[in-house]
Amino acid sequence: MLPLDKHPGLIYVVATLLPLASFVILLIAGGVRQYLRPRKQESSLAGTLYTLLGGDAPGKTAAYVATAAIGLAFLCAVYGFVKFNSEAHHLSHEIKHLKEAIVELKHEAEHEGDKFEAKLKAKQGELAEKEGRWSGRVNWVVILPGGLNDNKHGTALQVGFYIDQLSAVMFAMVTFIATLIHLFSIGYMSEELHQPVADHEVHTAHGHLHRRGRFGRFFLFLSLFCFSMLNLIIADNLFQVFVSWELVGICSFLLIGFYYERTSASNAANKAFITNRVGDAGFIIGLLIVWTYVGTLNFQEVFARIRCPDKAFSAARGEHGKVVSLEYAGLIVRANPQGSKSANEGDMVSILKPDESIRADTRVIIFPREPDGHFEGVGPQSRAEVKEIDVFERPRPDQYSSMPYWLLVAAGLGIFLGCVGKSAQFPLHVWLPDAMEGPTPVSALIHAATMVAAGVYLVGRCFPLFTPEAQLVIAYTGAITLTVAASIAVVMTDIKKVLAYSTVSQLGYMMLALGVGGWVAGLFHLITHAFFKALLFLGSGSVIYGCHHQQDMLKMGGLYPKMKITAITMLTGVLAIGGIPLFSGYYSKDAIMADALGFFMVYKQHFLLFFLPLITAGITAFYMSRMWFLTFTGKPRDAHVHEHAHESPWIMTVPLIILAFFSVSIAWGPEEVALENTLHHAMPHAVMADFGVEPLVDSVIVRTPDGSKRRELTWSGGKTKPLSENSRHLAHEYHDLAGTMALGMGLAGILLAALLYYFRVLDPADSKEQFPGVYRLLASKWYFDELYSAILVRPALAVANWFRAFDTNVIDGVVDSTALATVKTSFWSGRFDNGIIDGLVNLTASVCFAIGAWLRRFQTGYIRSYILFLVLAAVAIWVIMSFLFGTGAPAAGH
Amino acid sequence: MSPIGLEHYLTLAAILFVCGAVCMATKRNAIGVLIGVELVLNGANINLVAFAHFNPAFEIEGMTFALFVIVLAAAEAAVALAIVLNFYNNHTTVDVDTAEDLKG
Repeated sequence: MLPLDKHPGLIYVVATLLPLASFVILLIAGGVRQYLRPRKQESSLAGTLYTLLGGDAPGKTAAYVATAAIGLAFLCAVYGFVKFNSEAHHLSHEIKHLKEAIVELKHEAEHEGDKFEAKLKAKQGELAEKEGRWSGRVNWVVILPGGLNDNKHGTALQVGFYIDQLSAVMFAMVTFIATLIHLFSIGYMSEELHQPVADHEVHTAHGHLHRRGRFGRFFLFLSLFCFSMLNLIIADNLFQVFVSWELVGICSFLLIGFYYERTSASNAANKAFITNRVGDAGFIIGLLIVWTYVGTLNFQEVFARIRCPDKAFSAARGEHGKVVSLEYAGLIVRANPQGSKSANEGDMVSILKPDESIRADTRVIIFPREPDGHFEGVGPQSRAEVKEIDVFERPRPDQYSSMPYWLLVAAGLGIFLGCVGKSAQFPLHVWLPDAMEGPTPVSALIHAATMVAAGVYLVGRCFPLFTPEAQLVIAYTGAITLTVAASIAVVMTDIKKVLAYSTVSQLGYMMLALGVGGWVAGLFHLITHAFFKALLFLGSGSVIYGCHHQQDMLKMGGLYPKMKITAITMLTGVLAIGGIPLFSGYYSKDAIMADALGFFMVYKQHFLLFFLPLITAGITAFYMSRMWFLTFTGKPRDAHVHEHAHESPWIMTVPLIILAFFSVSIAWGPEEVALENTLHHAMPHAVMADFGVEPLVDSVIVRTPDGSKRRELTWSGGKTKPLSENSRHLAHEYHDLAGTMALGMGLAGILLAALLYYFRVLDPADSKEQFPGVYRLLASKWYFDELYSAILVRPALAVANWFRAFDTNVIDGVVDSTALATVKTSFWSGRFDNGIIDGLVNLTASVCFAIGAWLRRFQTGYIRSYILFLVLAAVAIWVIMSFLFGTGAPAAGH
Repeated sequence: MSPIGLEHYLTLAAILFVCGAVCMATKRNAIGVLIGVELVLNGANINLVAFAHFNPAFEIEGMTFALFVIVLAAAEAAVALAIVLNFYNNHTTVDVDTAEDLKG
């Protein structure tokens, strides 16, 4: 069994692998069935096996397997969450104290020697054990088996898990929503159980398309998706995140294209996949920059080396030292190069003050992997007044290195571009509304609650990697996205499209919050949004199911008496997203607005970052109420749809009720366990360092080991910024103001929607006629598709056509003329061969023949002629011999 | 008159040889051809014997070869006469010009 008492974090690994196991089982079973189907008549064994695996109608087995896996994963997540929260405060304090003790001991060990060495070892062992409780990793691919004795070059890609409050909350949220959506899908996808299934949206020569049901396949994809998403959440390094990232991408592709016979579905799947590739290209670039300069992709290690450590041993040179906070604690430290020394001494750089302007060659200090006892931090005002340090190209573990500042900016923007693609942010948001072609539970799970949240999650995770420039880009991207998407949602008539644009808009809020330093607010909104958006999507799924796949709100209306549960639960979701007090969305949106206001008060030039979300809060409330009124109230606009409409079965309404409950209450709770405070514990110090440390207001209640409670600062490093620069403090101070403004806007939006669509005091058609230009702009989704078509797709096609022309004309021309030349050459070569070469050979032969024919005449058959020749020959030989050898004198003369 | 020497023998042998060769070339009768062959062989034999007599170094070889030639001639005559007799039995003639069965 698992050593859960020593490594309780392993429960998360188990929970992650459960959906994978379900995926593998379903894949093998499905594959075997597919293989056996044409062969079941051939042998009794194949037939029996086929029947055992479900025969022609396997029923809902696949759904039960997948739902059981994700349900078990949810139970594991609850166990893990409870266990983690019960010991997290305690553990984090112990780890903090151990780290401080180790810093101290390192210093002592260097001065005093062996006595402290053993103590140091013991403390380090203890630290490793404590840290090993909720994290762990193994090498996956070892790149340099021997390792290098420097801390720049990476030696291995790793797989690991790291649990903090953020991943614990996310894990619980994803497994919970996924479980409900699995349950909902059992009902919603039941039409896929029919054999064969008729797809009324695909027309073939023989009427509607008839195909095999794909019930099992749907749950197969869902299981793979759940595994990928969970793996993404527990990953402790960027590479593992990237792998999961691509896996959820492919699952999204498969599920959007689930009805792949429909052209629109397969196009939407392609669009989503290709748009995401654009973002992933940026992700890879960011990954490579980090890998090249920092040498590891592990989150904690990367952050520890990019950001200045919090603590150091202050009086390394004095006798009475103590652990102190550092001036640059948590910040990215920039420095200007001063010139090269020899290879052994590295290059000299001088540290910049935080507000000093940067140059083109400004570098970022990368801190040592294992600071020794002399480490005192850097900066002009540190105790040792270290203003200049040596950085090395190939540093030892205790030496500094550096990287160009602009490359760190590029790495942050690259990773953010990946998040832009995945979280459907401007300008890569175009895929998400089209992705609604997939089955509605998929829209709820993947394209509202979890996958699109992965981008926001990663921005939160990688926050310490982002330089102030990158943070500003994130904030503006979020602000533009939320406004554009909300404005489009106002005119959409397809119920799922409204929700899709609303999702894009809400994700924009989260990005905005992260960009202005509202780390907790952004991720808090991510969680609350996951609940109410899943609710709204499932609600719309229930409506669509009840109306027999009618998605156009203009054909609905007056459905309230027919589907009360769906209507009421959806109203809960609408109020939650509209930011009505006591509903969860109110708390998280308030927090975001407060952070935006705080940021605006410090940086007045960025006023848009506050006013855009404020106005959009009203628009959000307006279009969500409009959707609800259009669907459930008023007179039925399509008698046929209304007549056949019915409430969905319990397996679909029960998840709605559960989700509605959580959409209201997820943000509630006593101070120390409330979601917002739980998330607060996971906040990276970098957020505080970048946006100002607050004196008391950000304190939390902690439970001390003896059971009493006390207030404590979440982070004690660094110094508080002056109030005028401290956006976090201002955010807290003006929290109520921001909340009131947002609430006012939200109520105004709902009121306007009610006037237009419920009381019918105003006619929406009038406004449509009064502002035809605006309406066309919004209804055409700001012409983004047309724009991309004009500047990207069509030029790409033009270039492709040009290349094709080049190919057919030039390349093929060259090939063809080569062929022609070869034919011609062969022709003449053939002529030469037949004429000259063969002529010579034939000539030789004919000469031989002629000689033979001539000689033939001498073979008469008359013996006397032979003898005559013999004699003549003898005489001739004699004559020749005597000419050649004769001396002229006859032998007789002697 | 000079004493009889090697030249005389050689001259006789040459005359005999030429007579034999002419006999072989001119006779159409197979028996006549055989007689020519005998003449040629004996012409050659006289050479051998004469050399053996006048050149002591060839004494043994000359005699031996002469004997071989005589034996060979006897054997040849026997075989050839048998052929001729058979030929006569088949064709009722001994004219060598009519012996063209093997002509191809």
